Amino acid sequence: MTRRVQITKGILWFISGLAAAVTIVRFTRGLGTTTALSDTTPWGLWVGFDVMGGVALAAGGFVIGAIAHVFQRERYHHAVRPAILTALLGYAAVAVGLIYDLGLPWNIWHPLIFWNPHSPLFEVAWCVMTYLGILFLEFLPVFLERTRFQALYRTLLRLQLPLIILGISVSTLHQSSLGTLLLIMPFRLHPLWYTPHLPELFFVSAICLGLVMVIFESSVTAWLYEREPHTDMLAGLSRFAAGALAFYLAFRFFDLWHHGKLGLAFENTFEVRLFWFEIAISAVIPLVLFLIPRVRRSHTGVFIAAALGVMGFLLNRIDASGLAQVWATGADYFPEWTEFVVSFGIVSFFALIYLFIQEHFPVEKEIVDEEERWLQRQLFVLPRFDRGSQVWLGDATFASRRVYSALFVVALVVGLALTPWQPLVKASPVQRARGGEMLRVGYPLGTVMFPHGEHITRLGKEACGTCHHLHKPGDVGTPCSECHADLYLDTTIFDHVRHVAVLEGNASCAKCHPEGQPKVRATARKCSSCHEKDMMAANTVATRFESLAAPGLRRAAHGICIECHRREAANPEWKKPDLFRCATCHKTPVPHVQELRLLRAEGGETAPVAAGS
Amino acid sequence: MITDPCILNDVTRCIGCEECVAACKRINGLPEEDPPPRVGQSKDGLSSTRWTSILRRTGGVNVRKQCRHCLEPACVSVCPVGALKKTPEGPVVYDKSVCMGCRYCMMGCPYGIPHYEWNTVNPSIRKCILCHEKLKSGEIDRPACVTACPKEATVFGSRDEMLAEARRRLEAEPGTYLQHIWGEHEVGGTSVLYISHVDLGFLAWQDPKFLGVEPLPERTWSALKKVPFEFVGMATFMTAAWWIIDRRMRLQGEEGAGGDRDHDEPGGSADEGGEQ
Repeated sequence: MTRRVQITKGILWFISGLAAAVTIVRFTRGLGTTTALSDTTPWGLWVGFDVMGGVALAAGGFVIGAIAHVFQRERYHHAVRPAILTALLGYAAVAVGLIYDLGLPWNIWHPLIFWNPHSPLFEVAWCVMTYLGILFLEFLPVFLERTRFQALYRTLLRLQLPLIILGISVSTLHQSSLGTLLLIMPFRLHPLWYTPHLPELFFVSAICLGLVMVIFESSVTAWLYEREPHTDMLAGLSRFAAGALAFYLAFRFFDLWHHGKLGLAFENTFEVRLFWFEIAISAVIPLVLFLIPRVRRSHTGVFIAAALGVMGFLLNRIDASGLAQVWATGADYFPEWTEFVVSFGIVSFFALIYLFIQEHFPVEKEIVDEEERWLQRQLFVLPRFDRGSQVWLGDATFASRRVYSALFVVALVVGLALTPWQPLVKASPVQRARGGEMLRVGYPLGTVMFPHGEHITRLGKEACGTCHHLHKPGDVGTPCSECHADLYLDTTIFDHVRHVAVLEGNASCAKCHPEGQPKVRATARKCSSCHEKDMMAANTVATRFESLAAPGLRRAAHGICIECHRREAANPEWKKPDLFRCATCHKTPVPHVQELRLLRAEGGETAPVAAGS
Repeated sequence: MITDPCILNDVTRCIGCEECVAACKRINGLPEEDPPPRVGQSKDGLSSTRWTSILRRTGGVNVRKQCRHCLEPACVSVCPVGALKKTPEGPVVYDKSVCMGCRYCMMGCPYGIPHYEWNTVNPSIRKCILCHEKLKSGEIDRPACVTACPKEATVFGSRDEMLAEARRRLEAEPGTYLQHIWGEHEVGGTSVLYISHVDLGFLAWQDPKFLGVEPLPERTWSALKKVPFEFVGMATFMTAAWWIIDRRMRLQGEEGAGGDRDHDEPGGSADEGGEQ
């Protein structure tokens, strides 16, 4: 085992630990806590990267299968087993990613019995399940090769070609069906990505990604285990990749031209920049690099080109399933860090399994043989003891495992400490308004225009307490926004630090916390025992003041306003039976901030939207 | 219950009193308090506990938003397990026990209607179901929102009746309305129609003109119906390619008498019986 492998494994274990922490929160608190998804952006990083990207990344399995077994190119036989292993683990990772992303993951098997053949996702689900089985059978010989089950091993080897052809056919279906998935949303996907030929385009790009992924992976494995990569195999694969990339580029631009959308690619918008960036790193730069013979012969050159291609096509999947839809929805979705941790965590975990299988089964014979030789050498290393305590320090394998476990646990603890346990919601700060005739409240500002002056005239000055139930010490008429600082979220209004400071330091604990009882909120003295004069006794809300958190302004205002309005509406004297209805306060027009800005930019006319047929 | 139930919303008559919203919440047992909006959520007011909302536009325009109950709904066609169903009567309803929570329906809806319960570990898709069960059992004769409307801005009947009523209103006051019935043809037609004095393109993610009148499910089906042929075609092509290449290499091997392909033989010889 090389130093590089050990460090890599340490990092992978650490990321897995972080992901494990997020996993706990994800499955006990729900999607709302661990993702930035919303009703406007129901699919995010987990679908774009883990599912769409994962399936495409695993395309190497069927591409290499076709090249080596169907087209019988001897040279690529080295690449078959690692590629199939990557595909197998890739699809398993997709399934795991889905378990995170599905709202009701325990129903993941439902496509088996509840059928809807009209759904592309149904087709994808069936193909992925079938292909996972096929891949397992394709890879099983590797597990059996050095065991005593030789009869089964030979039977499976004989089935290899039919299995590979079946795998290619199934892959064709679901790789293209992932494109079909997006055909239903012409209204979301930007025209530079949307085309009726999405299925074909996805199939071609999966072949490209499969090829560059195999190159990338061989380079990385060779670097990790410090051995020479198969240069002529990589050079050959690079030639294939160049062909596939050129075809992909031609197809994509022909399609744009054919649908008269080429002009769109030269506007100055976020999507256009994204499009060119994606095209450049996924296809153009790798293509140019692969076309240079000197690059094809250099390990670094091939690695860089392949790495760019992998990132580029992953970006393509993420664009199609999310970034290129912002144009339509206007949503400002950016993945939470927890989403990144889970995505990378799944990859790390399966990378560890990949390394484990590489080291223990004959995937690439050089690696497993080297590993066995290394283990045998360990038998001749003298045991090491701690000088002071004479405790056995363990052999090298044992020691490194101890480090991995430690890293995993540390990451788990760090992750648990950092992961939020409450749903992620948007803070909607309430604009501070004080005194005056008309208060604009709500978010966006001015959802309700509260006629403050009118209320004072109608109710009289002495009635302030009807609404103002609590003043800050030394203040009168403290505005709502002081405590109900957010429109929806509770705000903590008790400041412990300030109380300690004002009540003269640590000696003052007993002023609130009785002696001999735990110093917690439940046993502390009631706020009202000191702040009696800050509370308006006339107000019923003041007596309800027990919680140290003020509810969001929306709830608070609805509670106070509607209660009173309902009472007054019932009073026949006013002849205002509709006083408690929504429209009394939520008058139209309610200018949304965005629209206000637009109107101002246009010159401030509130004309209705132009007529359409 | 009438077949093909349909709601006609008249934007010119809506005063924005939100009685429909309150009635909807009452009849469906939804909590009065909505969940706080999530980051980046569209500001149409719909949520998992608010299945209809009033969009307030500048110029005193109130537009009620709710599920359109499309004649050929995208959400139903994309649901991989059929948890969303178009009932024989017309409304699009949801079955939680089948759903697996993939949220494809939310992506597929051109109007952004299905909403999700983000803050629970056992979430459902929530949206207007046109009071389907209560209408079917005869408990009520029209949806709660229609009953609650004080201005007849939203009326209920069969789709043909509502189209006729819409045309009648358009003809009676041609100066008031734009001569267009939203939902008559868009995405194959919807069971919630709108007539209005302003353009209602904002109800969809994109202008309905952009969506076209072709039902959305046809876009995916045109690709999906080819799937069996693709499968057979690819399998045949691959087998044929293998057979031709294998034969050529074998002939070459016999000529050169030095075939180094022994490695491949077991897989090769077994295949002739395997794939046909």
